[in-house]
Amino acid sequence: MKKPRVLIIEDDIWLAENYSRLLSSKYQVSHCTNGYVAIDLFDSLRPDVVILDVLLTGASAFTLLHELQSYSDTGNIPIIMCTNLADDMKIPDLESYGVVKLLNKATMIPSDILTALKSVLK
Amino acid sequence: MSAARGEHGFLDDSRLLGGLPSVVAAAHEMKSPLALIRQLSMTLESEEISNYDRARILQQISLTSEKALRLTSDLTRSANLAGAMFKLEPINPYQVCEDIVKEMQPLYQAYGRKLYLLNRKSPLLMVANRDLLRRILTNFSDNALHYTDSDLPIEIKIHARGNMIRLGVRDYGPSLTKGLTHEVRSGLNGANQLNARPQSSGLGLFIVSQFAEFMNGKIGCVRHRNGTTFYVDLHASRQLNLL
Repeated sequence: MKKPRVLIIEDDIWLAENYSRLLSSKYQVSHCTNGYVAIDLFDSLRPDVVILDVLLTGASAFTLLHELQSYSDTGNIPIIMCTNLADDMKIPDLESYGVVKLLNKATMIPSDILTALKSVLK
Repeated sequence: MSAARGEHGFLDDSRLLGGLPSVVAAAHEMKSPLALIRQLSMTLESEEISNYDRARILQQISLTSEKALRLTSDLTRSANLAGAMFKLEPINPYQVCEDIVKEMQPLYQAYGRKLYLLNRKSPLLMVANRDLLRRILTNFSDNALHYTDSDLPIEIKIHARGNMIRLGVRDYGPSLTKGLTHEVRSGLNGANQLNARPQSSGLGLFIVSQFAEFMNGKIGCVRHRNGTTFYVDLHASRQLNLL
């Protein structure tokens, strides 16, 4: 059975590596560190779900989300937002951007990523 | 790779943290490393982890802690600057830069990156405090590592400019846009800095700009097509002329 494709957009390389460590047995994981590269990767990777940090080098997560929403084939890819700024955000405000889960890096446990993915892809 | 003609701008430290209290900025700066350390520590508790991963995570925790502690230590230093505890003396910048390259090597290696010092043959002396100068260069090197997303090595460059000596750390990350470079040129403030260099409140730069000012110097940046050079300009020592 083909593994679902997950794209991690996170500029902290070691945190992304930790996510990959947890996910790689069940998912086909790709990683990039900024929004510009991510936009290029969407066509080739066709991710089933995206794990997205907010504070990225270069284009911010919201620039990327606007870009994704402007195309019909990328606009419906579910986004799991994983950020240190989660306290300042609310899911209802983000839903129109395709964000379906909001995780707080400062309080989450590593397996929360797995739980969120399972919930999104069920 | 040749850099595009750079755009220069001095950082005006008086506006660097405008609108963002230093305590909030410090909390913001510490949040990312602490969150990472917490995540890595919890991963270590898993029984399924391989010995290789265990060793790598332990190293990442150690290096991330050191990096976070450097900021707290710099904050303490900046608070003590007024007490004039830091003696200025003629210093060989090449030697200091070599020390920084050696000191940062484990961190750079752990990220699979390289930091190197461009060779300079002619002897130079600058008026500086060794400890403060090291902290400025360490801060630049930490930033360069974080914001470089290519495999190109990060370079430390030294060159004389009249009676000043410039030490610069050149990264190969996404270049600051013209607008953001303008913000840097006119003085970074806390909120803008968040956009210019995400995950950074600008506190580190603010602190090292104070260190530079204490040594009668300035920090600044040059925007390249494919990255940024952050530099410190300090006065050259005339002692060599007397020999």
